[in-house]
Amino acid sequence: MLIINGHLDDAGHEDVGHPERPERLRAVLRGINELHLDGDLLAVAPYSASRAELARVHDATYLDELGAYCYEGGGDLDADTYATYDSWSIAQFAAGAGLAVIKELQIRDDGVGFVAVRPPGHHASRDRAMGFCLLNNIAVAAAELTSQGERVLIVDWDVHHGNGTQSIFWDDPNVMYVSTHQWPFYPGSGAPYEIGGLDALGTTVNLPVPAGATGDVVRQALLDTATPAIEEFAPTWVLVSAGFDAHRSDPMADLALSNGDFAELAILTASFAPRPGRLALFLEGGYELGALQSSVTSSLGALLGADFASERPTHGGPGSDAVANAKEARFAALRIARDTGL
Amino acid sequence: MQGIRTIAIGFDGSSDAQGAVLWGLNFAHDNDALVVVVHAKGLLARFEPTVVNEEIEASLAHVCDEVGVARSSVRLEVVDGDACSVMLRMAQPPVSADLLVVGTRGQSAHAGHLLGSTSLELAQHSPIPVVIVPRS
Repeated sequence: MLIINGHLDDAGHEDVGHPERPERLRAVLRGINELHLDGDLLAVAPYSASRAELARVHDATYLDELGAYCYEGGGDLDADTYATYDSWSIAQFAAGAGLAVIKELQIRDDGVGFVAVRPPGHHASRDRAMGFCLLNNIAVAAAELTSQGERVLIVDWDVHHGNGTQSIFWDDPNVMYVSTHQWPFYPGSGAPYEIGGLDALGTTVNLPVPAGATGDVVRQALLDTATPAIEEFAPTWVLVSAGFDAHRSDPMADLALSNGDFAELAILTASFAPRPGRLALFLEGGYELGALQSSVTSSLGALLGADFASERPTHGGPGSDAVANAKEARFAALRIARDTGL
Repeated sequence: MQGIRTIAIGFDGSSDAQGAVLWGLNFAHDNDALVVVVHAKGLLARFEPTVVNEEIEASLAHVCDEVGVARSSVRLEVVDGDACSVMLRMAQPPVSADLLVVGTRGQSAHAGHLLGSTSLELAQHSPIPVVIVPRS
């Protein structure tokens, strides 16, 4: 069973010519349709996140400012990020979509969730919009789960580091944030020695890979460095910041993954979930519509036990050395932090 | 001003940013400080990298001419990230700036809001002094 959010009318959040555009969501829905799930697909009713739910991860003044900014017509928030009159409402529904999908997974205790929304969220910090992101959708969902006593693993395979998510949960021992991302690259954070705050040492795991890296390198990073930490953390829920801009066709970045790689990443990530009904993917980036569609199909198909990948997993790109070096850098940072308390 | 050894100046090529560089270069000269001009490379810069670099170079060269400083003597760093985050990073090693300088409004202008204003966000978050150079 695939559980997705109900229709989100996102047409009002658009800046003509901007790559983060409504057509992305149409491509994602085409990707879901390719699975021909019929009765195995459930769309849950749209839901707008409440102020209290948003305030768990965003400052009240930021929420006030963003709402007012939009109601006055919006504009550019930085060189990359825009907001329109409708953006505030759409962003609240995007954040609420994750909450609705998770609630349905809890009720059914089975299935896989997919939160198909925009604008994306993982760059949004407590008090700043950036990187096309206004509200941090996956953080809102993770905070809801931790409020219920859950231990949440967030795996972020978007090509960009999710600086917003990392910063929100930096000192939270109940959320582990694991990111694979191109490095060096926007937004500049995500070094392997960024390992979490003193109250949550080791619960941030950054796995940077160089431009040109293929799927095997990303998987190696997850298996060698992240998996032992995840097993020790023992999550009760797994949420995925599922950006598909690491695909080799995506114009926003330089990694070399195929849609077959996203299928493998999905299977590996699902193996971290303790049981069925405890895994939800959240759409982040992905700007080449064909690659986005096929990668949604392949990854969700893999999670449902079917092979829909039209491209083989990739091998042989650069980055094995970088992965090994990053692992050493992480362990060194952990040793220093634990020895010195810094 | 004592203790100011390194100044980081935010630069997006706008006229306000040119004013910031102008002020910063003069201040650095008077205080014998090092200058690092910093250009944040955002997500969208990817679509027109050559144009962006050329525009930034030309704009910076214009300011250097105005101050009478050789362009080659001014260090320009192009750094991945949004403008505010990149400037905040300048306060940390390896740059370890003692002072951040920005124009009043960059290319993302939307008067009256903290959001959309790099200078105001920077002033709110920076651990070191920030100079916001008014539009002349």
